[in-house]
Amino acid sequence: MSNISRFAAVNTKIKTLEGEFLSIDDYRSMLKQRSVADAARFLIKETEYKEVLENIDINQIHRAYLESLVKQKMLNNIDKIIHYFNGSYKRFITTLYAKYEIEELKAVARAVYNGMDTKPFRNSVFIGKYSKVDEERVFNAKYIRDIIEAFEGTAFYRYLQPLLDNNIKENLFRFEMVMDASYYEILQKEWDKLDKHDIEVLQKAQGIMADLLNLQWIYRGIKFYSLSPEELLNYSIHLGYRLSNNFIKQLCYSKSLDEFYEMTALTRYNFLFKNDETTDIFMERRLERHMYFELKSVEKSNPMTIITTFSYIKFMEIEVRDLISMIEMIRYGMPEAEAEKYLIRTLNGGA
Amino acid sequence: MAVEKMKVIGIVGSNSDLDKVARIVIMNGSMHILNALSELNSNCIELKTSEDNIDIIQELNDIRPYSSKADFSEDEKIIKSFHDALNIQPKIIKGHIDPTFNYHDLMEDFKRNYEAVKYTIERIEELEQNISIKQKHIKNLYYAKREGLDIGTLLGLKYFDFDMMSLSREKYKKLKLNYENIPSVVIHLGVFEDSDIVAAITPKELKEDAERIFVSLNILKLDIPKGYTGNTESIIKILQQEILTMKSEIGELKAEVLLSREKYEPIIVKSYTMLVVEQKIENIKSEIAIGENLFFMFGFVPLSDIEKFQSQIKCAFQDQVILLVEDVENRKYGHSPPTKLKNNIIFKPFESLVEMYGIPTYNEKDPTPFFALSYMLLFGAMFGDLGQGFVIFASGLLLKYIMKNDAFGGILARLGISSMFFGLLYGSVFGNEEIIEHLLISPMDNINTVLISAIVLGILLINISYIYSLLNLYKRRDLEEGIFGREGLAGYLFFLVLILFVLDKILNLIGVAAWVYLLVLGALLLLMVFKQPLDHMIRGKKELYEDGATDYYIEAGFGVIETILSVASNIISFIRVGAFALNHVGLYIAFATMAEMMTSQIAGIAVLIIGNIVIIGLEGLIVFIQSLRLEYYELFSKYYSGYGIPYKPAQLTANEDY
Repeated sequence: MSNISRFAAVNTKIKTLEGEFLSIDDYRSMLKQRSVADAARFLIKETEYKEVLENIDINQIHRAYLESLVKQKMLNNIDKIIHYFNGSYKRFITTLYAKYEIEELKAVARAVYNGMDTKPFRNSVFIGKYSKVDEERVFNAKYIRDIIEAFEGTAFYRYLQPLLDNNIKENLFRFEMVMDASYYEILQKEWDKLDKHDIEVLQKAQGIMADLLNLQWIYRGIKFYSLSPEELLNYSIHLGYRLSNNFIKQLCYSKSLDEFYEMTALTRYNFLFKNDETTDIFMERRLERHMYFELKSVEKSNPMTIITTFSYIKFMEIEVRDLISMIEMIRYGMPEAEAEKYLIRTLNGGA
Repeated sequence: MAVEKMKVIGIVGSNSDLDKVARIVIMNGSMHILNALSELNSNCIELKTSEDNIDIIQELNDIRPYSSKADFSEDEKIIKSFHDALNIQPKIIKGHIDPTFNYHDLMEDFKRNYEAVKYTIERIEELEQNISIKQKHIKNLYYAKREGLDIGTLLGLKYFDFDMMSLSREKYKKLKLNYENIPSVVIHLGVFEDSDIVAAITPKELKEDAERIFVSLNILKLDIPKGYTGNTESIIKILQQEILTMKSEIGELKAEVLLSREKYEPIIVKSYTMLVVEQKIENIKSEIAIGENLFFMFGFVPLSDIEKFQSQIKCAFQDQVILLVEDVENRKYGHSPPTKLKNNIIFKPFESLVEMYGIPTYNEKDPTPFFALSYMLLFGAMFGDLGQGFVIFASGLLLKYIMKNDAFGGILARLGISSMFFGLLYGSVFGNEEIIEHLLISPMDNINTVLISAIVLGILLINISYIYSLLNLYKRRDLEEGIFGREGLAGYLFFLVLILFVLDKILNLIGVAAWVYLLVLGALLLLMVFKQPLDHMIRGKKELYEDGATDYYIEAGFGVIETILSVASNIISFIRVGAFALNHVGLYIAFATMAEMMTSQIAGIAVLIIGNIVIIGLEGLIVFIQSLRLEYYELFSKYYSGYGIPYKPAQLTANEDY
């Protein structure tokens, strides 16, 4: 199928959906809300999130529930887009759900591991969306082992199965790492079935994302976790675009944080490490912002490719993350001026 | 030949009778269950405020959905394993259903019976599990064997550990990238299902380091049989021998169990039947409402089954259960009744094609008879051939009786007959027009007549669909659409006048001046444009428009254009009936010409046979679709909504599966 016929319709749809993104003014008004219920009311009145909020009793709403509804909107939008694809493209887009499902699963696993109630997670919208897992079994889990067993027969199981080995103590850390790694392997497998040009753009877009995540991972690994270089390397994502696997290996084997800074200073991603106290606080935000601009530029130079859909989903994710942050800030009463520093989107002009 | 009439039945009884009532409902198998809560909320059940009913009225204040859900998975499991062990196909025998029995007791009885063979069955399962473990071992050993690794020796090493593991391809690449830093010798054994299989030999001293690295590679350790001596090959042989022994033991055990098949079969079938009934009861219960002492159940029952239903309930409970029977016509709110189509044997198969478009609503006329007749007519007219029609007829019978595809087989058989009939009229046998004399017309010799008759046929069919539409609209008492609408009286008159106008001008029939026609047509169009305000004025409504005047007139304006266009396009569309009749002959002529060009007679016959196959397959399919298109688009759009709900009674179907 030619790219025009494959993407013309869906890209038009995405253009309209992008028109629904919150404006800077929406962000500002959102930050001015004084309670979670007010925030929900604002979203109903002024934004497209009314689709998921309309039939909800606003006065009863609480933070976690509102957040899951916001995510529901994201899921609905992806669902709308999926209809425009078929065959391997449809499967590829479906795979993108896995990322969000894994995120939610990790949260549930954390609760299970710490012996907490999983009830607050029952609103999770993505669990089961990709894997088709029996949600009940996940939520009723007593141990991480139960969660893993619930996944028998799903695409994740092959990655989780080694954790059931009795010789090795299963733990939360491994579960999280395995889930994350499985996403990139599944994703790669699915995109290999796309057209050549689409693979190339994805390799670039996802590659930059992998670069950033690898840097963040190795930095944190050295600074906080004191993992062995071999482990750091084995848990990194080998999809890099600007950073070669060998460079990643060197970074893993760097003897100190200073050596790490030295090596990264020469890369394009040196903005992540300011060597001051802001590094840790803002790393996530800097990373996501950078990704936003990188995706915009890849999208511009590759019209009529899968990147439009891929980026849209990422942008949607950014907005949802910001919204969730804002809802949390409202809930915990953070002042507006302070709050906006933690958002991915810059509120002073620009995007 | 219509949509079957329904009545609403409400059952109120004491909670202790609930299971029994539900069982009778399932045995009867004619009740389409409704959600009782929404039914009670939207329709007041009519009860006289007498002393008899005081309890019910009190209960109505405090009703809730039935919530406790029984779990049958345990029962299901053992019934299934019993079935498997005795090699019995699950089946349902309705005679086993007894409304008064106690499911719990029956299961206890079943479990007692099961106890007798339980040990043997479990032993079989255990052996089967063992076999699959050993088979896995053998598979793993084969990887080692291929690389010439001697497992016996490797496992016996004093200072080294030997492991086999699989890891994903990505992870294997990482292992290779960093091989120099790993304290093991790693040997690649092969690739299986997208995973790499490797063997690792690690000094025991460094085991811990190596293990941590392997964990971060998310390896899956492969089982290697322990406690065997000898080289890899001989271990494989021993394992295979062990499997054979176990298999023969399984065989013996199975034969032993099978001896008791006769003894246990009745109880198994009965338990299975009751299990399925019990599961159905759960489904029914999820729709009922329950109070302190009473339950409320609602559903639709077709008129023809109602007496049997009433007598069955009466018979079992006398006056302990109250039956409320209400006419559907009295209902103002709530669920619309489901549609049960009732057609005679000739039209029945066509229901499936109608349902493909939609199910008639309860108040709609069932279009199946008209659809069936017109569909056969259209198909036959386009694909009229005695011989090919017979092939279609025969394959329809084949489908129906051999492959058990009732609906589609039935349709094909009927289409075949119609095609044969038209074949006689056209005088065509397997495309050849010389074998028999045509009874009516030979299409190729009368091209214009054929095309014009196709249009006449179309006009006739459209007329009938307008009449259907008027009937439906009358049934709904829809004044706006019925009198002024496009599918209503105004639209119909517009259609008729337009045709009369054209005929008059072409054939000079009556000789009324053109402006008279145009005036009438214009007036009818205006009626259609102002249908909503007119309707609202007649019915004395305050507001003339439902959604504002601007929107209404924009829509109505386009409606006018569409009306004019669609009248023309609907009629012309039917020209294809004639065109395909011609096309049918044309295709044959092409093949006949090719056959003549063949040098040998055998080749000529072969071409004709291939030609006929192509014509039946390709043209048959096209005509099938084109007729369907005419039905759906040209005719259904006039009179058929298809928004109905299918009638799905709670009942046992013959082939319930686990």
